[in-house]
Amino acid sequence: MKLMIDETRCKGCNLCTLVCPYKIFQEGTTPNRRGVVVPVLDRPERCTNCRLQKLYGRVLCGVCQMICPDQAIRWVDEKPYNPEKVVIEY
Amino acid sequence: MNFQDWFRQDRLPHIYCTGCGNGTVINCTLNAVNSMGWTPENTVFVSGIGCSSRAPGYIVTDSLHTTHGRAIPFATGVKLSRPDLHVVVFTGDGDLAAIGGNHFIHACRRNIDLTVVCMNNYIYGMTGGQGSPCTPLGAVSTTTPYGCNEPPFDLAALAVAAGANHVARWTSYHVKELTKAVRDGLETPGFSLIEAVVQCPTGYGRKNKLREAGAMVGWMRDHAVLRQRWQRMQEAGEPLPPGAFPVGEFVRRNLPATGVPK
Amino acid sequence: MQGNTACAEGALAAGCRFFGGYPITPSTEIAEHMARKMPKVGGVFIQMEDELASIASVIGASWTGVRSMTATSGPGFSLMMENLGYAVMTETPCVVVDVQRGGPSTGQPTRAAQGDMMQCRFGSHGDISVIAVSPASVQEMYELTAKAFNLADRYRVPTFVMTDEIIGHMRERIEIPDAVEIVPRRPLEKGSLPFAAGEDGVPGFPAFGQGYGVHVTGLTHDERGYPSSTDPHVHERLVSRLVNKVEGARQEMADFEVTNPDAEVVFISYGAPARAVAQAIHDMDDERVGHLRLRVVWPFPDFALALFKSARVFLMPELNLGQMAREAAGHTNVPVISIPEIGGELHTPDRLIACAEGYL
Repeated sequence: MKLMIDETRCKGCNLCTLVCPYKIFQEGTTPNRRGVVVPVLDRPERCTNCRLQKLYGRVLCGVCQMICPDQAIRWVDEKPYNPEKVVIEY
Repeated sequence: MNFQDWFRQDRLPHIYCTGCGNGTVINCTLNAVNSMGWTPENTVFVSGIGCSSRAPGYIVTDSLHTTHGRAIPFATGVKLSRPDLHVVVFTGDGDLAAIGGNHFIHACRRNIDLTVVCMNNYIYGMTGGQGSPCTPLGAVSTTTPYGCNEPPFDLAALAVAAGANHVARWTSYHVKELTKAVRDGLETPGFSLIEAVVQCPTGYGRKNKLREAGAMVGWMRDHAVLRQRWQRMQEAGEPLPPGAFPVGEFVRRNLPATGVPK
Repeated sequence: MQGNTACAEGALAAGCRFFGGYPITPSTEIAEHMARKMPKVGGVFIQMEDELASIASVIGASWTGVRSMTATSGPGFSLMMENLGYAVMTETPCVVVDVQRGGPSTGQPTRAAQGDMMQCRFGSHGDISVIAVSPASVQEMYELTAKAFNLADRYRVPTFVMTDEIIGHMRERIEIPDAVEIVPRRPLEKGSLPFAAGEDGVPGFPAFGQGYGVHVTGLTHDERGYPSSTDPHVHERLVSRLVNKVEGARQEMADFEVTNPDAEVVFISYGAPARAVAQAIHDMDDERVGHLRLRVVWPFPDFALALFKSARVFLMPELNLGQMAREAAGHTNVPVISIPEIGGELHTPDRLIACAEGYL
């Protein structure tokens, strides 16, 4: 599962930054197109829910999703990807 | 069903300000409602007027957005004529304690089978930041520019004294405990009040040096004292820290209730 | 049977299964009768903490699809105004019985008056339109209360039964019909918008608990029910529809009795004074004196005044200082003379005869 912030909803309150036990959310620096400074994710693979939700079948921790007043945080399935070899001709 | 499915997706993002605690409390309530196994077809949300009471407009169930302070009697009418429907009331501190005070204490006395989630942000948020009956002593608001000189209500204590079956208070920082408390309230037959202390950075925070959403959430985290510890400190005679308030479940009892489905 | 009891019985016969009330003289007998009878028919009776809570619980119950009513008098009526405006805005059918007493304020709790006639039409804030019926006998208390439920459900608007302490407390013999005609609410078709209406301006009713997922709000809302209070066109459409659905159906719901349509001097009356007028007409036995007795008072049947083609003057005896006379005067060029009687005593037939002879 991948952690993602919905930029159409986030209003930049930074409450997620306050509560994450792994300090995955960090305060952003640049405003996006709506003028909102969306938090950035520091190595979101450390999130317990990302790694173990499929295994346990329920949401683990999830405090960020609960505390987000704008329902902007969710986890999405990561599509399996095959690394591809790219050949550059020069 | 995930609690996200209970939202009217076409109505989001909602009108709440940046960092408003109401959004958090709605998340927790819907999580609790979802975990009870209720469906949008048999749940009804009723609310009064205010920021907290705009919540049912964003939820897919049948909902009643009523007049200021009168959410509880509307909910009483709905519950008594269809006791099989699950009725949850969203209200705010002014809506519940000021204009709705009479209905509040009678609902506690009657012990009608409702669950009331009161989002206490110490202010009248939607109308721009006027003082409410829960504004702390000395706090600044637009109608108390020199500091509030009236002592505030303790909503949880009121509900306990008036005879409610389940009373709890948590804050929007303690999301897990709040969800559990709402779930306990939904399960308890009879009147249950869950008072959620929330941050209002725009209405309350800006005038009281808690401008950022995170600042007020940090203030709630630092000043919330667990009820058992509060009691122990009172009994031992220790001085209570200024500005602190007890959180937790205040009462859970089995007084006779009305409107409980048979 | 007492008038108040007949009113309660009429409601029960019409299928009323929720009563939320607060005791106030002279309507307390309705609440007491409902308290005894409601549990027996499987309905709900609750005495709320004040009149605002009473009408609120009635509206809440109505949204679950149940016919609901409350009963009050002048001071309680004033308290209910905000929530009645809410019922108009959300198009909630409900019935409110106002057993009028001497006002203003506490006034004469045990004497009759008709001082709330304008209040029921214009009491709540904003532009609204409601339906009001006015019984003049115990038999009509039974019939018109039952009819009020049909009107409320048909037009999805609060309907008022405006009686007074005289009719409420008098005892007469009545005939109880075997069955009362019940015209239930038209349910909303699944998939259509909850507040979109057809030709008659009345949308289908989406009761709670049936999967409609309707959001009911007192804010100005669009056809989906979502608040959209800043768009002027949405507000204009909504409020015009709310007012026109009742005003436009004036002819359909009109209910009045005409005596001597070729008369020159015509009495217009409703409620208790109608009895005095009937006696006066009977005693005078003169074809030049006629009577228009209104049973549905709001929306005011202005076309009924035109039925009296030879009328030179309209006389309106009322137990107030001329509230409905003011309304009638706006609809005709014929002079409308008000015969007020405040103080709680009904007009005597002799006084009415003297008034009529003064104009003949």
